[in-house]
Amino acid sequence: MAAVSFQELRKNFGSTQVLHGISLEIADGEFMVLVGPSGCGKSTLLRMLAGLEDITAGSIAIDDRVVNDLESKDRDIAMVFQSYALYPHMTVRDNMGFSLKLRKDKKTRIDERVARTAKILNLEPYLERYPRELSGGQRQRVAMGRAIVRDPKVFLFDEPLSNLDAKLRVAMRAEIKALHQRLQTTTVYVTHDQVEAMTMADRIAVMNEGRIEQLGAPLELYDRPANLFVAQFIGSPAMNVFEGILRDGAVEALGARWPAPKNKGIQGQPVRYGIRPEHLQPGRDGVPAEVVVVEPMGHETELLVRINDIDLIVVMHGRSAHAPGERIFLAPQAANAHLFDAASGRRI
Amino acid sequence: MIAVPGIALPRSRFAFKSSWQTWGAIMIAPYLLVFLAFVLYPVSYGLWLARDPASYARLFADPIFARTVVNTVVFLLIAVNLKFLLALWLSGFFVHERIWIRWLSIVFLLPWAVPSIPTIFSIRFMFNPEWGVINSVIFRLTAHDGPNWLNDPRIGLGLAMLTHIWKSLPFWTLILIAGRLAIPREQYEAASVDGASAWQKFRYVSWPSLRTLYLTSTILSMIWTLGDFNSVYLLTGGGPADLTHVLATLGIRYIRLDQVDLAMATIVCAMPLVLPLMWFMMKNLSRGDRQ
Amino acid sequence: MRRFTREAGLWLLAIPILLWTLLPIYHIFLFSISSKDSAFSGALWPDKPTLRNFGTIVREEHFYLHHFWVQIWNSLWIAVAAGALTLAIATCAAFAISRLKVRGGRTVMNLALFTYFIPAAFLAIPMYKAMGAYELLNSRWSLVLAMVTLAAPYAIWVLKQASDKLPYELDEAARMDGATPLQLFRLVYLPLMTPSLVAIGTYALLLAWNEYLYAYLLLSHEQTITLAVALGHFISADDSPWELLMATGLVYALPPAAIYYAFRRYMVGGLTAGAVKA
Repeated sequence: MAAVSFQELRKNFGSTQVLHGISLEIADGEFMVLVGPSGCGKSTLLRMLAGLEDITAGSIAIDDRVVNDLESKDRDIAMVFQSYALYPHMTVRDNMGFSLKLRKDKKTRIDERVARTAKILNLEPYLERYPRELSGGQRQRVAMGRAIVRDPKVFLFDEPLSNLDAKLRVAMRAEIKALHQRLQTTTVYVTHDQVEAMTMADRIAVMNEGRIEQLGAPLELYDRPANLFVAQFIGSPAMNVFEGILRDGAVEALGARWPAPKNKGIQGQPVRYGIRPEHLQPGRDGVPAEVVVVEPMGHETELLVRINDIDLIVVMHGRSAHAPGERIFLAPQAANAHLFDAASGRRI
Repeated sequence: MIAVPGIALPRSRFAFKSSWQTWGAIMIAPYLLVFLAFVLYPVSYGLWLARDPASYARLFADPIFARTVVNTVVFLLIAVNLKFLLALWLSGFFVHERIWIRWLSIVFLLPWAVPSIPTIFSIRFMFNPEWGVINSVIFRLTAHDGPNWLNDPRIGLGLAMLTHIWKSLPFWTLILIAGRLAIPREQYEAASVDGASAWQKFRYVSWPSLRTLYLTSTILSMIWTLGDFNSVYLLTGGGPADLTHVLATLGIRYIRLDQVDLAMATIVCAMPLVLPLMWFMMKNLSRGDRQ
Repeated sequence: MRRFTREAGLWLLAIPILLWTLLPIYHIFLFSISSKDSAFSGALWPDKPTLRNFGTIVREEHFYLHHFWVQIWNSLWIAVAAGALTLAIATCAAFAISRLKVRGGRTVMNLALFTYFIPAAFLAIPMYKAMGAYELLNSRWSLVLAMVTLAAPYAIWVLKQASDKLPYELDEAARMDGATPLQLFRLVYLPLMTPSLVAIGTYALLLAWNEYLYAYLLLSHEQTITLAVALGHFISADDSPWELLMATGLVYALPPAAIYYAFRRYMVGGLTAGAVKA
């Protein structure tokens, strides 16, 4: 177990800088998720921690020991790859025991550790099989087993679930989380899927264009996004955001007055007004809107509504009697509104 | 405890990859040695031997030379193109899915799989004007003597071309079969639905996909054909009267006569033919490699 | 009806293909089972088929065959050595270029391709001079090294293409598992490349066994020449024993044909892959 520390970490590929000075402290035993759109630098950051990419500037430390100069194998970390990267010519047993064999552990010790890990992951019946004979979920578990068997200080996961179908992904999500609760090993997990991030993380680092936009616990990011990027990245369907002017405790936008939190911003300031779909509920009065599309999903109903040629999304619990073309009123609450500076995108 | 980044930087880069780069250098070294010792040195040495203009004067004065150049060009243009037209046609035949066609395709590969020397000698004997099997049959059927075959320079060169085609046709047919099999079947089905005839299917489906492969294969085959010594030497020996030589056999002939400067001059004279072909292939393969 | 004509057309095409392919080969076979007198009768099957020619060969009972066993041993030795050496050199080079991403690897690949595109008979002349300078003429090693020079470029090219297809994550996983470059090579790379290695090893072996021109230039002593060169000697005189030549040729041609067909599955896939991509 270990703490991981990134200090002012930079990475250049040729003349383009892909990481602009990342500083991040990951606590011992923490499950840290790096999330962001593709190309944001999250995988590069993980690969630098893994020792697979050079460090252009800055430093990485594991348990206060700078590992910049260490080869991957000497960092005491293990990684689960997106493609699993299982050795096709080795059985599950040999795949899992390979790292132990390379560091010249005794055979009895290798067998014992592989057996223990296989038990944890329910892989015992498959030990003599080859990767090609396994299902996607089983391969995924072997890849994890290969990491666990070494008992490393840190687990690294690089988009480990993106090759699985939707149902299996949900199951594996729970399995990885349960595993972490059992082993309590420091984990750095990279994904582009904000749902994975929200459901698994102790803390999330939202990344964009080589920077960390916000760092915090999942619900903290959801409730108090630090900027427009995080606001729109976290949450599904995404937060409704439109432009307006702050005036007399409300935002004038789309030909209506939208209630805003008190004592924020300056009179006449151009802002972006953000409100999550589930906080935008139809009421008896409020902002008039036209229903364009109704998407019933059983446990909830999504409405696409239009105000002044701008489309907004409304999510209602349960079912809805609304029909396309109908005129409704939306009643937002000031406490649920998010205000962002129009120029900088920062939360007000 | 955190190291100063400025100090960590240069060492980290070096330490990381060094053992991998070192091993890479060690593992690539044997081939590099082979290249230096058996390609670069011989070629440079050979070109140095060919530096004297007098050797070219002597080469051009040799009456065989002009005939050889003509033979080589004829050989390249006719044999290679005929071979590829045949290969294109036969590849269309061999892609039919019949079990007996698969068996036939295995037999068809024999000329490529067996060494040249016995088969070319066999062809040589078949065409022996006095007691070869061909003229024996002709005599028995018509009671006339057959043609002089290998003792006639034109027929001799023609037979050398046929021998060359016989030997290398299977390989190129195989390449074009692979190219045809890479075309998705849906394209043919779509063409059938659109009412295309067999010729139209070839013209608008097969050929556009095969064109690049056909062209690069033809160029590569031309290079190899320039270096084909066996088809001519083992069949006619360059004769009669040294009238069926190509540049490959002429160079070797000079070597056997211990006229190395003439041999090298012959090769240098072939460069206008070889270099454009090599340039084309290098450009093509590096481009394909980068993609 | 249309279906019938198409099938008939296919069969009609099959006959000339079969004749064209087999006639010279059958001619060899016919000669090798004929006695000296009946060989030139022009018949499709000898009156009295005989295996006596093969007996003559095995017992080395003819002037041209006095060193038959030494020469076939030379052929075998050279083919195996050239195959093994090509395989070793090309595999290491492909691994260094494709997996270790060695600096300058691309340049070396281009040098190899350049070599591949020199017509064989043209390279033979300077190679002959160079072997003379290295004092290797008439040594088996001269032919082995020449064959390695000729076979390695294509071998590297095909192996590089094949190894580029292996996912790079495998190497990264092995690195994280603590593998050194050599362990990666031995424990991961070689096992995964086996099919291509079989194809390339066979390719180089057959190339060397079948080679005539280089053998003819580089080896000249009766004790050092390969069987191919010995076969060439038969036609130096007009009154050669052609039935013996053809029988020896058959013995010479059988092993490569057998090896080729045994490994056909590997060969066709492995060797045409690079070509089709180009």
